[in-house]
Amino acid sequence: MTQHDPRANTLQICRQARGDQSIMKTWNQIRSFRVALWAITFFLPTQVSTAAIDYDTQVRPILQLHCTKCHGQKSQKGELRLDTLSPNFLEDRRAAERWHDVREALNRGDMPPSEEPKLQSKQRQILVQWIDEQIAALGNSKKSTKGRVVLRRLNRAEYQNTMKDLLGVDTNYVQNLPPEGYSSDGFQNNGSELQMSDLQLEYYLEAARNGLQKAIVNHKKPKVYRHEFTHSITDKKRGSNFLNDDEQFIAKLMEYPAQGEFLIRVKARAKLVQGRGYPQLRAAIGYRADVRAPRHHMPSVDVVHEDWQTFEFRDRIEHFPLPSKSQSKFPGLLIWLDNIYAEGFDKRLKPKRSKKIQKAPKSKNANLKTSPPQPLTDYPNIEIASLEFVGPLFDEWPPKHHRKLLFHSPDLRQDEPAYASAVLKRFIQKAFRRPVSAREISPYLRFFANVRQKTPSFEEAIRETIAMVLISPDFLYLFEPAAEQKRRLTDWELASRLSYFLWSTMPDQELMELAEQGTLREPNVLRSQVKRMVHDERSWQFVEQFADQWLDARAVDRVAVNPEFYPDFNPRLKASMRLETLHLFAEILEKNLSAINFLDSDFTMLNEPLAAHYGLQGPRGSSFERVQLLPSDNRGGVIANASILLGNSTGEDSHPVKRAVWIRERLLDNPPSDPPANVPNLNSTDPKFASLSVQDQLRLHRTDPACNDCHRAIDPWGIALENFGADGRWRDNIPRRKIKGKGMARQPVVAKTTLPDGTVVAGLQDLKSYLVNEKQDQFSRAFVTKLLTYSLGRSLELTDEATVDQLDNKFSESNFRIEPLIQSIVASEPFQFK
Amino acid sequence: MHRRTVLKGIGTTLALPLLNCMATQTKSTIRPKRFCAIYFPYGVSLPKKGSDAAKWNWFPDQTGRNFQFNESLKCLDPLREQLTVMGGLSHPHGRKIGGHDTADIFLTAAKLKGGQLKNSVSIDQTLASKLGEETRFRSLSLSVDGGVGEATRSSTLSFNRGGQPVPALHQPRMVFNRLFGVEEGSLEQRRQTLQNSNSMLDGILEHSKSLRRSLGKHDREKFDEYLQSVRQIEQRVERNEKWLNVAKPEVDANGLHLEADDETPGELIKTMYDLMFLAYQTDSTRFITYQLGNMNGATSIATKFPALLGFGKSQHSLAHGWNKPGGAEALGKWDRFRSQQLAYFLQRLHDTPEADGTLLDHTVVLYGSSNSNTHNNRNYPLILAGGNRLGFRHGQFHKFSDEVPLSNLFVTMMNRLGLPTESFVDSTGEITELLS
Repeated sequence: MTQHDPRANTLQICRQARGDQSIMKTWNQIRSFRVALWAITFFLPTQVSTAAIDYDTQVRPILQLHCTKCHGQKSQKGELRLDTLSPNFLEDRRAAERWHDVREALNRGDMPPSEEPKLQSKQRQILVQWIDEQIAALGNSKKSTKGRVVLRRLNRAEYQNTMKDLLGVDTNYVQNLPPEGYSSDGFQNNGSELQMSDLQLEYYLEAARNGLQKAIVNHKKPKVYRHEFTHSITDKKRGSNFLNDDEQFIAKLMEYPAQGEFLIRVKARAKLVQGRGYPQLRAAIGYRADVRAPRHHMPSVDVVHEDWQTFEFRDRIEHFPLPSKSQSKFPGLLIWLDNIYAEGFDKRLKPKRSKKIQKAPKSKNANLKTSPPQPLTDYPNIEIASLEFVGPLFDEWPPKHHRKLLFHSPDLRQDEPAYASAVLKRFIQKAFRRPVSAREISPYLRFFANVRQKTPSFEEAIRETIAMVLISPDFLYLFEPAAEQKRRLTDWELASRLSYFLWSTMPDQELMELAEQGTLREPNVLRSQVKRMVHDERSWQFVEQFADQWLDARAVDRVAVNPEFYPDFNPRLKASMRLETLHLFAEILEKNLSAINFLDSDFTMLNEPLAAHYGLQGPRGSSFERVQLLPSDNRGGVIANASILLGNSTGEDSHPVKRAVWIRERLLDNPPSDPPANVPNLNSTDPKFASLSVQDQLRLHRTDPACNDCHRAIDPWGIALENFGADGRWRDNIPRRKIKGKGMARQPVVAKTTLPDGTVVAGLQDLKSYLVNEKQDQFSRAFVTKLLTYSLGRSLELTDEATVDQLDNKFSESNFRIEPLIQSIVASEPFQFK
Repeated sequence: MHRRTVLKGIGTTLALPLLNCMATQTKSTIRPKRFCAIYFPYGVSLPKKGSDAAKWNWFPDQTGRNFQFNESLKCLDPLREQLTVMGGLSHPHGRKIGGHDTADIFLTAAKLKGGQLKNSVSIDQTLASKLGEETRFRSLSLSVDGGVGEATRSSTLSFNRGGQPVPALHQPRMVFNRLFGVEEGSLEQRRQTLQNSNSMLDGILEHSKSLRRSLGKHDREKFDEYLQSVRQIEQRVERNEKWLNVAKPEVDANGLHLEADDETPGELIKTMYDLMFLAYQTDSTRFITYQLGNMNGATSIATKFPALLGFGKSQHSLAHGWNKPGGAEALGKWDRFRSQQLAYFLQRLHDTPEADGTLLDHTVVLYGSSNSNTHNNRNYPLILAGGNRLGFRHGQFHKFSDEVPLSNLFVTMMNRLGLPTESFVDSTGEITELLS
């Protein structure tokens, strides 16, 4: 008999589960009003009641029956008297704290003490729920912004996109900016939560200066370097025109630009293999420094044809490690081309080779003795005909981004101050996303005049002045000046709200023009603009923000897959997993499909590596395509996305409670209440416990009434997904580490469970049908709530309830299409008013 | 003008310019007094005495000078005369809040107030604001996650005087560039750039007054955060001007894994310790905090570190599993890994002579967590190391009663670090047991 690993994880449930996000925030059980409300309205019908708990009729009688004997008039054990403790949390903060202590004691099971009559489960629930409601209300009142959007700083992504659009130079503006946190709604664009600090401001200034150094040039037209190579050189015994799983094409440039955009043009063709995907061509730039060769890679492209084709790689040379001038041993810049078809992805190919390497004897001469590895015969190859390098790249001199800022005007240039003033006015209006008065520009003009005296060149002085614009609050924040009275947004403000909602960047020319004409707010104009924006390619930036944060697709990066359990898993798949979820969202948005497809769909979006991971056929390349599904494929719907399944796992196994909390929080907007503080650990030291199935472990956990109150409504949602391992693949049994002896033991999957309302579901298909048939309304409202929250950049409050109702109605009338919902949100009062 | 002395460090060599402008004569008499706080989440393994896994208990069995380290701290034995293990301490205000909420107040002792969860100033920032004048950087805040995170799950240990979180740096490359990176341009150009920054900020502040008037109440609160940042960065610019004539210390980056990230946590943490060491050695700053992950399982990238390093589970799972079969040992091994990294850092400080002692003798290092085991907000596992020349006496395991708030340690440290202090938040006195 072997003993099994206790799967210690499964029962760590409370805290871990929802990822602790707001677990036990004493005052912070302040999800927005909906939570409290919904918890009652939708989720707890089988529990207490559907209305908020009333103190006088529901709470007081229980206290009198069970508590006031020791905590009342006659005795105040622990200096606590409950009959006179104010039930008004808002007015009596001290009382609120005492009530909080009461809740803790109840959760720990400390009260009533064992010698006294026990509370019935329902009684305890009433007490706990009442305290939770009051705490939530208190938190909301503290956090409330009176239903108004708070001065919102551009977040990292918005800043990056905006700087790129504004300066016309594609470079990394955010590398030094601190990462953003998440608001309690799960989003990164909540005005109240986005903070500012001196460090942040310091790096904004640095990013602006660096960007402007590139955008505005003041040197002569540089020499353009052109090199063409038809044969690879040899570097460290490598170099070939035929790229298999191991070979590289290498070019060496003795002369190259120090900065600016470049182009690498590669003529190549594929040698395809029947039944395999397309080979992928990747370029890298760097140099050789002794044994190391520092380099950065550029994104790869699929080579799909056996005829010659040309591929282009563009970037800026200063983004790559360049050899230092003093370095003389290995001079020159190197460009590598390689074929990463199977780099880690294709389990059928790669492990064989890595095993061989592992087995090689470790003696000093090992390298000399072992024969070079033979190329894999079934590997799709690439043949290179030529590699051409051109750089720096510009249409004319000075380049376009320069001319955009310092526009051509021979007359004006005669009068430098006048020219500077014209340049700045134009730039500031764009940067501030609105017209600016002469008075507003004057500090910048003064600064320019001041700096110009000390600076040899006009360009240098104007760079510094623009840098000042780029750290001003009007640029860094979405400024909507308004006093206490609510007011309608100006057309300019509306343009910004729209573009940051749907593109995560500044308004484009067309939006600015409509704002200038004052016609943007006209309903038909607004409608056609929203339509244009949704179908513009920049809406991918919306998907990358909203879908990623709503569904937490990035969770895959926080989980390390244990190779002991998944020996052939390659972490590079994680990026594809996240992209499946984003492409699924994009497809539903673009093709105007029903949002119910998130609950269940007969297609998903896959590339070759992920399809292979799922055991599905279809895509041959690294880009994502729509793949039609059969029920027997066991995919479809976002809950069958590997990103969600892996992100809510332990990396060794599924984590049913995390998955369950994900469903309730993300799809149903009904997260379970935060687990209480100081829950006693389940006594799981009993060796028998270890050998129980997850189902039984969870069942045992629920025999504790304090745990069961919540977990009966949590666990089943995740158990239904037990057929998916941590890696998101389908499984019929669960690998477990043997406690004695090596290797894995296996336990059969049990995915049959009873949902809180008594419905029995057996696995994925049942769960999806249940969500589609029984939870459609709840999902619809959840989706509306999430999208409205994101669109406004603030948490919703009670006063938004009516808006949510209206939007929800329209959403279901339109058969749950996202674009019409976006239209209704944009037309709604909260979106159009400050 | 700059005399360059080549010092030998472990793994790196370094040329240190003596800071002539900071008064050469007094240099030998001024002994920098430094502070360092290192935090890890979720507590430690605490199996019962007599159980199979008892040797994985983080705390030693016996108090006093004759204590024996258990497995997870054994690697610190060579440094036992440089450190004290402390049990029993905690922040009283932390005892009432959720187990995961306490990292925020580890260095502040604050009572998190109201819906806004407002914090108060942390000890490192108090010290830095009063004593941080003499170095290029007043203080340095580091963490694994970087930034500020969210209230109660902050990804920094440092909070400024307004209780605002100070964003932490998380990329070794960035820390290196900030401390030692070569500055571009001639001295004159750099001076000009700093002057420009200064007048830029002036201009913005001026213009902001009218802007502020146009805002409503909630917007104003946010806007004030911006204005405060502008004023702080002005001070930063002034400081840079003062340091303009002093070249940044030259540090050899070979041997530093500056590209390490969350996929290579072993290198990442070691490199951060290397950078902290170099920051002290070059006297670039005297006040450093380093958070080895916050207690947000949902967003902390550090959650996966033990799994990546072969300790099997996520940080949180290990912490939770301590009372399950095999759990105490599994968590204990992770505790040991962390203390090995600490030992590496302390040893580097200890191996570096300074004045009449070592770098460690003039540096007070507080290492620990705000949970004893997971979610338990009392009996923090704590190590106080260094400062032997600042008045601390080590080589003991002390167990304190619940009556002693952790802030008493803060007061004790502040008084030894040259900032005479009567009280810190809820302190009731000093901890004299730690003093020589």
